[in-house]
Amino acid sequence: MVSPIYFIALPLLTAFLLPLFGKIHKSLIRIIPGLLFAYLAVNAVVLLMQTSVDKPIITEIAGWAPPLGINLMFTPFSGFIATVISLLAFLVWAYSYLFKKVEFDNAVKYFVLLMLIVAGSIGVVITGDIFNQFVFLEITSISAYSLTAFYRGRDGAEAAFKYLIVGSFSSVFILLGIALIYGHLGTLNMADIAANIDKIPPKLKVLIFILLFVGFGIEAEMFPLNGWAPDAYSQAPGPIGSVFAAMTSKAGLYALIRMIYTLFDISSAYKTLLIMGVITLVFAETIALRQEKIKRMLAYSSIGQIGLIMIAFGLNTQLGIFAGLFVLFNHAVIKSLLFLSASFLVYNSKVKYISDLEGMGKQMPLTALLFSLGAFAIVGLPPFSGFWGKLYLLMATANKGMVVLLALILSVSIVEIVYYFRVIHRLYFREYTGKYQVQKPRWNAMAAMLILGLTIIVVGLYPDLITSYIQQATDALIDKQNYIHSVLPNLGLN
Amino acid sequence: MSELTINQILTYTFYGTSLLLIMIGFYGVLTKKNLIKIMLSFSIVDSGVNLLLISIGYINNGTAPIFSPSIMEKIHKGISVQMVDPVPQALVLTAIVIGFGVTAVGLALIVRLYRHHNTTNIDEIKNLKW
Amino acid sequence: MKLKGVIIFILLAYIFFILIGGFLSVQFGKNRMNVAKAYIEKTPKDLQVANVVTAVVVNYRGFDTLGEVTVLFLASTGLASILFRRREIHTELNPRRRSVQASRIVQVAGKALFPLMILLGGYVFIHGHLTPGGGFQGGVIIATGYLFLLIAYRKFAVKHNTITWIESLAGATFAGLGIMGLILGKDFLENFMLTGKLNDLLSGGIIPLIYIAVGFKVAAELTGILDTLLSISVDVNTNSKNNNNE
Repeated sequence: MVSPIYFIALPLLTAFLLPLFGKIHKSLIRIIPGLLFAYLAVNAVVLLMQTSVDKPIITEIAGWAPPLGINLMFTPFSGFIATVISLLAFLVWAYSYLFKKVEFDNAVKYFVLLMLIVAGSIGVVITGDIFNQFVFLEITSISAYSLTAFYRGRDGAEAAFKYLIVGSFSSVFILLGIALIYGHLGTLNMADIAANIDKIPPKLKVLIFILLFVGFGIEAEMFPLNGWAPDAYSQAPGPIGSVFAAMTSKAGLYALIRMIYTLFDISSAYKTLLIMGVITLVFAETIALRQEKIKRMLAYSSIGQIGLIMIAFGLNTQLGIFAGLFVLFNHAVIKSLLFLSASFLVYNSKVKYISDLEGMGKQMPLTALLFSLGAFAIVGLPPFSGFWGKLYLLMATANKGMVVLLALILSVSIVEIVYYFRVIHRLYFREYTGKYQVQKPRWNAMAAMLILGLTIIVVGLYPDLITSYIQQATDALIDKQNYIHSVLPNLGLN
Repeated sequence: MSELTINQILTYTFYGTSLLLIMIGFYGVLTKKNLIKIMLSFSIVDSGVNLLLISIGYINNGTAPIFSPSIMEKIHKGISVQMVDPVPQALVLTAIVIGFGVTAVGLALIVRLYRHHNTTNIDEIKNLKW
Repeated sequence: MKLKGVIIFILLAYIFFILIGGFLSVQFGKNRMNVAKAYIEKTPKDLQVANVVTAVVVNYRGFDTLGEVTVLFLASTGLASILFRRREIHTELNPRRRSVQASRIVQVAGKALFPLMILLGGYVFIHGHLTPGGGFQGGVIIATGYLFLLIAYRKFAVKHNTITWIESLAGATFAGLGIMGLILGKDFLENFMLTGKLNDLLSGGIIPLIYIAVGFKVAAELTGILDTLLSISVDVNTNSKNNNNE
């Protein structure tokens, strides 16, 4: 009963039927997505354990072997990211189970959109066909546009419109890239493209690379294509902010990484990724300093972390990929916790300034503690999980002899410490003004946040829990020939 | 310059027109101020991209990829029939629908923006800055 | 602002020339079919379907079609969530008014053409595997028929309850047919029914069934979207000043 196809088939089926379930009984619409996400999480973990000891799991759709049909690829690398997404999806559902702000009609739409954005992100990660990846990316994007504009009162429509325009650019560029690839190679299967990529003349290869790089980079929030991100994160509902940080950006990153490592064999692609990562990191962290609204600050911090991940993958060494995956895991978990807790800390404030948090440390002790935990973890203080990720990244940089880069990452970490500690200072060392009513989280939200907090502490103390999976993911990514041969056993098909 | 063959003329016509449509659409998106004109420009871009995708699938002297009774007769008689590439047509079907979905959501957002700000000029809708 | 226009023009012209240089390498009309050759050979033999494009869309690349159907569903849901349409408040009490009354010609022609368009649309999507066309094309034709009526008559309204049912059921049929393939021990979306003879109406296994479901879904959704967009109330004053955090 476990198979990668259930990641897509079940959420789609449930999303189609959810409005009908709603007519039967109102509370069904909140329970059924929970069951679905629980099943997906279990599915992911079981498959990940299976693929760690076995070869990659390849599922053919419609009974046609690739490259004739579409296939799903659950390798240790894509499986790791898919597992992270599934587990976080379950926690986001738990957080929004008793969503107070939403009445029945909108609750149906909220859960439908949530299921579809999760299905879309997982689809981007586990598919083995480039046009299919584009379709799932569009599913993710359209759900994101609708979710950004979900609330009535804020400026959600403006943020969503900006997001839509930039997203449409991205889909045009990706389509142009796919058109060129098909025009030359006649196939759309990723393994087939990887095997035959040298049939394309080099200049054209660079053009296709640039088109796809820009296209996927927009979704992955790379500079200078991330103008939409801070607006979208700050206007969307609280849990959706963590969905954007943990799922949609990871999907875009995965597409970029798969493109650079597996599809194309351009050696300067890695340097490009590295340089763009550095620019993204510096730009995002500097602007985060100037932010006065908490969600925008968290959004820029998120973009900075993505820059770190890009640097790690741009190093093109074993240790670099290892570090990149660790930081990816950390970012997903910690950023989610930060968004979820910050959502409660500024619950009743309209514009969500940082100064609205003053004194919440005493009013909501547990939530404030969790937020501080997340802040400590993300700047890389031991003994939390963020420390290990940054450590491996610094080691990888030092290994390659890039001392300037190392110094840059360290100084950026100091900048992070400054702006996070500013928030913590206000939480604990200022008096509560009573301007905004305190909203204590209910048990489901608290449970979700506690689980995330515990994960940070446990992985920080025993990183070996996940390092074996990360190591296998690293090996799987580097081994391009294995990828091709698992999908196309007899090369030269057609 | 080498002589312009029919093939080259056709290439320039099809690819050039589609790319021209895409560029005109982009110009519209980037310079127009009215929100609805921006969405229309995106529709033009979508049309250009779809036209480009289909043009890639053409094969000289090819016919539609449908095994109708008349084509089956020709095959039985031993005449070889060249068919056009069916894959770009399938891709374009999907791309058209996706473009439609995005346009619909975009128009809904424009309605919301109009209700909120009472204008469709993009310069005046700037609540969110740095 | 003129300078900005000129800069953008130069930038776009530059990109245009780069792209056309790239595309020139893809020769127009050259036979470069790789997987497509196998598709064309296998379709009349293994699947007994006459329209190769339908076979590609529904069977070989059926997963993309599932994604596309989801995109339509998303557009409809997103539209409803962005515009805050309440599905329970129905319009018998409060008929929506279009701003301009359509002329007599449009009204009479609408009534006359509507059944013909429904018939044509139904024909197109039922015969998707035999003639050019299919679920999407047929659904769009049916939706255009409804659009005709929506434009012609000011008080014409579509029952959103019905549309919701058709949408959800048709979508679930598509996904359900795929999962049935899984239950019967084969792959997702694999053809598990008999395929019959080429050019017969009942050929192709589950392909016509899927396309019929898609046809219904597309028709229902497009009609719903058109109806929503045509019935938005543009009273700015009541909506913007009362916005507060729910």
